[in-house]
Formats: sequence, structure tokens, C-alpha cells
Amino acid sequence: MNEKEMLYQKRLERYTTAMDCGKPDMVPVAFGIGEWIVKYTGTTLQEIYYDLDKSNNIVSEMLPGLDFDIFKGGPSLWWPPMFDAMGSKLYKFPGIGVDENSTFQFNEQEYMKADDYDEFIASPTEWLVNHYLPNISKELENPGSYRSTVALIKGAAAFAISGGMMGAAWGKWTVDHGIVGQGTGFTKAPFDTLGDALRGMKGVLLDLRRRPEKVLAACDAITPHNVNCGVAGAGADTRFPCFAPLHRGAYPFLNPHQWDTFYWPSLKATIEGLWAKGKRMLFYAEGDWTPYLEKIAELPDKSIIFQIDTTDAKKAKEILGGRFCLQGGMPTTLLTYGTPEKIKEHVKRTFDELAGDGGFILDSGGVVMGDAKKENVIAMIEAAREYGTY
Amino acid sequence: MLTDSLSKAIAELEEQQVAELVKERLDSGVSPLEIVNSLQQGMAEAGGRFESGEYFLGELIMCGEIMQDSMVILEPLLSGSNAEYKGNIVMGTVKGDIHDLGKNIVVMLLKGSGYNVIDLGVDVSKEKFIEAIKESNAPLVGMSVLLTGCQESMKETIDAIRAAGLNTKVLIGGNYIDELVKNHVGADYSAQAATDGVKIADQIFGA
Repeated sequence: MNEKEMLYQKRLERYTTAMDCGKPDMVPVAFGIGEWIVKYTGTTLQEIYYDLDKSNNIVSEMLPGLDFDIFKGGPSLWWPPMFDAMGSKLYKFPGIGVDENSTFQFNEQEYMKADDYDEFIASPTEWLVNHYLPNISKELENPGSYRSTVALIKGAAAFAISGGMMGAAWGKWTVDHGIVGQGTGFTKAPFDTLGDALRGMKGVLLDLRRRPEKVLAACDAITPHNVNCGVAGAGADTRFPCFAPLHRGAYPFLNPHQWDTFYWPSLKATIEGLWAKGKRMLFYAEGDWTPYLEKIAELPDKSIIFQIDTTDAKKAKEILGGRFCLQGGMPTTLLTYGTPEKIKEHVKRTFDELAGDGGFILDSGGVVMGDAKKENVIAMIEAAREYGTY
Repeated sequence: MLTDSLSKAIAELEEQQVAELVKERLDSGVSPLEIVNSLQQGMAEAGGRFESGEYFLGELIMCGEIMQDSMVILEPLLSGSNAEYKGNIVMGTVKGDIHDLGKNIVVMLLKGSGYNVIDLGVDVSKEKFIEAIKESNAPLVGMSVLLTGCQESMKETIDAIRAAGLNTKVLIGGNYIDELVKNHVGADYSAQAATDGVKIADQIFGA
């Protein structure tokens, strides 16, 4: 084993031990190179998004000398050409729809209408192909047409190209720097699939009053697909968790009755379905989930890593600690408005409060965007090493 | 306690009942303005329930939807009546950010409380904010931002408003808004919950 392979093994061990609620040699720290990197590299966000080589080179130049365990990836979350090939209406990308240095954004609409529920529930995939794709993509408006077929091929090819490039880049980073990726695969809460992508926030909230039984039936219909998505997209890997960004379950969107009835059962079933196949979920609880911690504690032990964003960290530790690994601890706003000294103090305090008996990974609470300061992000991983030894 | 049946119906989110009562009252000659007042009282009650933790955002959005549906009928009939606003407020989501859910809820609550809200929409440039403030002479401007990466454009907008010599009060809101952000961008007020907007407006307008 060469030096980098040994480093990889050591970091993997740290991550795996924490995931299983154990106490590694030191607190593992997760790190991502977000959009904040752009202002230090003399490029625009648009270039970073569209030119994957450029983006990956920036990551390759940044990684040497940084000591962290779990890599969350570089600044390119999506490769826009895939969406452009299909004339997608779903996103606004830097330079296309928003300023060249503004981040990508989701264009939330009622892409599925209230009248579509029955057809969707009867066969979700069929409905997506026949109605959703034409609704969200200008080039796919006439399924089966010459234009639509070519656009589909181009979109699929772009997806494969970006997958190949990113796979190669991750392989190189792993070999050259001994870093461990955070996860494999991706899924969502069924209610979020419905509420984010299909009906939109307002649509789904009104549905809860106007057609609650349809919402439940749709979530049930989505659940097996979301279980499959988390496993299949990962090539059946079960060493690492699948990423699940969770949205509409955050406080205070739904009242407790709605949360218990509409949000939780299908998400719980998704997590249990994944866990039955040995697949863990990175329960990326964006926003505040404090009121629902007791319910989340019903899950099988170790079946999730719970991400603390603006959830009350002490309560999360009290209710979930010991049975589920917790990840987070660094408020995203502190990475922008804090100073390296403040970051270090905060890391020390966080370790005292949350890391004591293991089962904890230091990470930023939410997604770190273009506003973060490089010196603060670096201070976080440095402080993790300084104070992190058990 | 609400005594008016229409106020009660909207506070209880009884969509059907509200629609029936609005129609009934119009038919029996009740003035549109009086009907709007009843609806506003009910909305204020819903806002109160949100503050006390009984209602969540889902309820507020539903309430706003019922109000909006009613206003489709009532608004055309209001012209000519002397609807008096408590004052003008300019609202918008700042440049670079296209999120509108939070802003829309606050706009709805402010309208429901009797303010004239000039809603500039999303991705609003500083120039547009300034133009609207000048035009309406609004003593209060509300800015919404979800993405932390767009907080800087909030600061730029506030700086530009000050540079233009406008002393409009600035209220900011959004998921990642806290004291730290408020001080950095130079806002006068920051809202933590949906109903804070109305409370702060009432304070400023002395309503």
C-alpha cells in the first residue's frame, strides 16, 4: 500500500466508524469546494458550470495540502448542457436566466396539474415520460417527433459524458489525495418528489386540504421508485449513504398532523426499504427539523446520517445521538460573516457539545454557497484537526 | 374572538363557506369594502394563530389562497369606494434570487392587514427598488432572500437606497437571515417568522 492508499484507508475507517455511531481516532470532517472558490480563481460561475475540465482542475489544484476526511465534491453540481439540449425549463443557470455569477436556481411551477393525479398514480413512470418531460422541456413538447427524439438522445449523451468526466475526476482525486467521497446515489422523500418537482410548494399545500387522499396515494406510488433510485443510482454500492436533500418536512411548512400523515410515512418507508437492502441515507435535513426529532428516532438504528442545518443541535444529540450518526455543527452564515478565530472557537465548542462519544461528523450545516470565505472554510478543517483527537 | 361568520370561515380555512358567504352578502347589498374588512379580520386571526403555533405555513398559504379567490370577485367592485390603506410598502426578492414563497406569504399578510403593497416580484435590481420607493414614497421596503450567495446583493441594494438619500426603513427576511446578516447588510429590521412583517409594519406606521 502506498502512502495515499494508507491515508484513504485511515479516512475511510474514520468515516465508517462514525457512521456506525462509533468513536474513531479523531472526529471526521467533511469538506466541499463550493461556489465560493470562484472569486479566488478569476473565473465566472458560468465558466465553472459549463466547463467541467476547468472546474475539476480548480479542485485538483486546491486539494493538495488540505487535510480532511470526507469529500463532498467541487463547485459543479449540474452540467447545464444536458438541460440545454432538452430545452429544459427547470433551472436557471449562471449566465442563462440569471447573472453569470449567480448560482443555479430551480424554477418551481405546477408542472403536474391537480387533474393529473389519477394518471400519475396509475403509472408514475409512464406519466413522467408522456406528460412531465414534454411539460418541462421545450424540445420534448411533441413526444415521438424527430425534434424530440434527437433532443432526448443529446440529453442522454450529455448525461453520460458528464458522468464519465466526473467519475474519472473522482477516481483521480481518490488516488492522488486519498480522499473518501461522501455518498453514492441520490433519492428524495416521496412527498418532496411530489412537492418540489411535480406540484410545487403551493400546489401540494393546497392539495393537502382539497384532495388529501390523492396526495397519500401519489406518495405511496412514488415510494418504491425512490427506494430503487437510491440503490440503482449508486450501482448497488452500500458502503456509503445515498444523498437525500429533504425540503418540505422542515418546520414550519406542515402542521404536526400533516407531517405525521403526509410527509413521514412514505419517507420512513423509503428509508426502511433502503435499509433492508443495506443502504443508508444521508438525511439532509435542510432548515429546522427540531419538532420532528422524536418521530425520526423511530427509524432503525444507524439507517441514516442526520444532517443538522438549523435544527437545535443539542436536542438532535439528545434524541438521536448514539443511535444515528450526526453531521453538521458549523452554521453556514458563520463561514461568510465569521473570522478564522471565531470558526476555531466554534469548532471547539461544537466538539465539546456534540462529538464526545463518537457518531459525529463535522460539516457545514447547509449548502455552502458563493458567499463563504476561503479562509473560514480552511479554518474549519484546520480546527477539526487541532481539536478533533479523541 | 371573531363574531362575524365570514371572518370565522376564512380563519377556519373553510373555502366553500367563504365563497358562499361572499356571494350571499353581495347579493343582499352589503358593500364590497365591508366584506373585505370581514375577510381581513379573519386573516389577522389566522396570522395570530400562526404566531401562537397553532397554524403553520400550510394554513397561511391556504388562507391567502381563499383571500385571493375572494378578491377576484371583490376587487373590481371596490373601485370608487373609499378603501383607505394604512400605507405603502415596497416588497421584492433581491437580485439573483428567484424564490418567492416567503415573500408572497408576507405580502399576503400585509395586504390582509390593510397595507398597499407594491410587489416587485423576484430577482429585483437595486434600480427597480429605488424607483418604486421614490414613486410610492413608501416609508418601508421589505427584501426577501433565501440563497446565502445573494445576501451580498441585498447589501448592495440597501447601500444604493442610502446613497440615493432615501430614508425608507428596510426590513429583511429569509431562512438564513439572522442578526449577523442584518448588521452586515445594514438593514433596520429583520424578520424571523412570517408574521413579523406585519408587526414591524404596524410599529413603523403606528397602526
